[in-house]
Amino acid sequence: MKAKKANIRPGVKTTTSWKSAMRRDWQLYLMLLFPLAMVFIFNYAAYPGLRMIFMNYKVMKGYDGSDWVGMQNFVTLFTSADFMRALKSSIVFNLLDLLLGFPMPIILALMLNELRFKTFKKVTQTVLYLPHFLSWAVIGSIAYAMFRPSTGLVNMTLMKWGVIEQGIPFLTEKWHWAVTYLLINVWQTMGWGTILYLAAITSISGELYEAAMIDGATRWQRMIHVTLPGIRSTIVTLLIMNLGKIMGSNLERLTALDNAMVKDFSYQLAVYIYQFGLKSQHYSLGTAANFFQSLVGLALVLISDRIAKALGEDGLL
Amino acid sequence: MKKNTLQKVLSASLVGAMAVTMLAGCGNSETASEPTEKATESAPIAEVEQVEVQEEAGMASWTPFEETVTLQVPVYDRGGEVDVTSNYWTNWIQENFGDAYNINVEYVAIPRGDVLNAYANLANSGTLPTILMEYDFPKQAQWADEGYLQELDLDQLAQIAPTYYQMIVDQGNLQNTSLNGVTYFALAERPYWNNTYNYATFYRADWLEELGLSYPTTFAETLEVYKAIKDAGLCDYPAGGSKVTGAGVDQNYGFRTYPQDEYEWATTGDYAIPALSTEANKKLVKRQNQLFNEGYLNPEFYTREATDNEADFIAGKCFEYRAYIAPSIAVLDSFYEQNPDGKLAIAVCPGLVVDDEGVSNSYRPNNSFGMMVSFSATATEDQVKAGMMYMEWLMQPENLFTFQYGFEGETFDYVDGLPVMRDLTGTEYAMANNNKDYFCIVVESKTLGNIEDDVKLNAPVNYPDSDDFYTQLLENYNGMVAMADSGYVNSDCNFAVVISAQSEYQQVLLDKYTEYRTKLTTCSADEFDALYDQYSQEYLDAGYQAIIDERGEAYNNGYTSKLPQ
Repeated sequence: MKAKKANIRPGVKTTTSWKSAMRRDWQLYLMLLFPLAMVFIFNYAAYPGLRMIFMNYKVMKGYDGSDWVGMQNFVTLFTSADFMRALKSSIVFNLLDLLLGFPMPIILALMLNELRFKTFKKVTQTVLYLPHFLSWAVIGSIAYAMFRPSTGLVNMTLMKWGVIEQGIPFLTEKWHWAVTYLLINVWQTMGWGTILYLAAITSISGELYEAAMIDGATRWQRMIHVTLPGIRSTIVTLLIMNLGKIMGSNLERLTALDNAMVKDFSYQLAVYIYQFGLKSQHYSLGTAANFFQSLVGLALVLISDRIAKALGEDGLL
Repeated sequence: MKKNTLQKVLSASLVGAMAVTMLAGCGNSETASEPTEKATESAPIAEVEQVEVQEEAGMASWTPFEETVTLQVPVYDRGGEVDVTSNYWTNWIQENFGDAYNINVEYVAIPRGDVLNAYANLANSGTLPTILMEYDFPKQAQWADEGYLQELDLDQLAQIAPTYYQMIVDQGNLQNTSLNGVTYFALAERPYWNNTYNYATFYRADWLEELGLSYPTTFAETLEVYKAIKDAGLCDYPAGGSKVTGAGVDQNYGFRTYPQDEYEWATTGDYAIPALSTEANKKLVKRQNQLFNEGYLNPEFYTREATDNEADFIAGKCFEYRAYIAPSIAVLDSFYEQNPDGKLAIAVCPGLVVDDEGVSNSYRPNNSFGMMVSFSATATEDQVKAGMMYMEWLMQPENLFTFQYGFEGETFDYVDGLPVMRDLTGTEYAMANNNKDYFCIVVESKTLGNIEDDVKLNAPVNYPDSDDFYTQLLENYNGMVAMADSGYVNSDCNFAVVISAQSEYQQVLLDKYTEYRTKLTTCSADEFDALYDQYSQEYLDAGYQAIIDERGEAYNNGYTSKLPQ
């Protein structure tokens, strides 16, 4: 910082007033208005509608005509066997998603970073990114075409080769389904997840690698002792953000891979909210469940941020 | 223009455009009037008095509206090639009816498989159409309960649409127009309402000929046929199979004890909510379990769509296919193309058959009315009036005939005195679902007034087995007439009060039923009874008991229809 200051010539104005910045860059500020308005309208303007969690909201009666019911919606939620079943499944599967899905992009980014043949690296990256652009409806169709017990491609091939006698119920028995469900998510998200880590890796100074090489560090050691610590703050930030999703669940993913035999596991909060909130038109109950999800998510983000800071990391906030 | 100025102008325009686009989605084009308060008090089962029709009533008394009135009419969208909201026939309505009375007729597409959600979304966005239409009483009851509907003035209907009103009276359906003592519904006509001959079962007659068997009439015979088909290597899963979905999926009418206990019929005898926990349903699911365990049902049925069954039938991988009859049926087209030597026949109802276990071939007759028509709580007085005019106008024989058949020499030809439709696919006259989802507001199906002509008009034609189809359909109709006289065919109970628990729990129970029914079908035979009891209890606890109790209360208070004596 001192070196920078030394370069500034005396008498040159280095600060800009708010008014002159506006005059100079008004087009940019005008452009900024649009996303700001989007955030305000879709993230904050709907907040007054949240009061329906304390009401028995009826569409045709509106907010003014619907009855206030206090905490009744939350009492209904926490005494509902269906809600508790959905809550349990959501937490377990989100933790497993985190456990399996979070490290994979890091490992993949480290491996991609070590590839030296540029064309191969770019092709590999593109192939890995592709699943991110597939909708869950498409992935679901592919999954069933691949993994049906007797008519799925994988089982048919394995049976033809004599590896198995009976088809493996990848998607039709709940424990098999759980594994398939988790792995498909890893496959779909890991490629895209590497982008931030690869960007972080490029910001690591080349001098550190040179110094490590001079000290005789192998590629593996450079990866562990230079690259990994270099992206530690990115890892922590993304971990905190992912912890906020522990209570969430993805209706598209669950619907695409669902069937009647695996409801024990596939019945998660998104399904509960869709079923009770939208299909049964209990909007207050659905909103209350969603509010609870968000509240717990926020709490988890705040707590993990504090913990990260206590451990000497920058944290998120 | 300087580069800098150009950038400024472009950025300002872009922001403006984005802002306009964004705000456009937030507006509400029309101010809705306040919804009418629904009646909350229960009333005895409707005793609706007939209204006197004045002499100057009907079309003769109509004059065009001074200001254009927008009439929004829902129409089922079944995903066909024709745009249901704008096609030759919607334009025809506008030109011949709308323009004459200064009414702008707009059609609102309702996805057939998602009716309740579609209307809920329209209600949420404050854009309910003027008219709401649904076949099922419970759905209309739910809308009434939610405040979607306004009271229907039967006197007004009688004066504006006397032909339509008289049809309701003639069909004996006046008492079905009310709920909780408030009149909500105008009811369309349903010809042959207690006979389901038009929903036919096509089966592989060539297979039965090869095996020397006849079409089964009992479950034991069905098992025998399936076994023979499997043993002969004709197909692996003769019973086919697709996932269990939605209301009406398991109709246990044949598994009930007749004459039915009226309380049981009123509380668990409908098809809107599957009657898991009843003995009748247990017998039904147990037989499905047997089909599964004996290898006749596709073991992956719960991952398969109904279209997979159709594909199986076309490919010769299952024994039967069920469909509503029409002169042309796409699955039959494909079947004969794939199986040029294949021979199909339509299953004929032999009259009442009761097997050793007391299971009969009873079926669910429809309500005595077709479409239930109601008006949105947000519709204005003029819109309601325009809606009634639309119903009356479409009901006029010349208008209805043109809307159903079109124009001689262009859309149909008279053959033996009967109007036979041409293939309109791809032409400007192409009809979505034969225009049925429009004219259902008046009558449920085309009819020429006698069953022989109606069968001739609707039977699948131009297929190798079409001559037999006509005979079989007629025999099937007659068999069902005999059934209807046997006392084993009873319409579902209708309620004169809203069953709130039904609106509250129906969706949840339907989802649960899908899960339980699939698990009960795939479990081993030894596990079945215990599992059935377990799921029954869970199902009752999840809301079915509350529905039974509320229906029972309505029955005890006399707010239900009754079984015929």
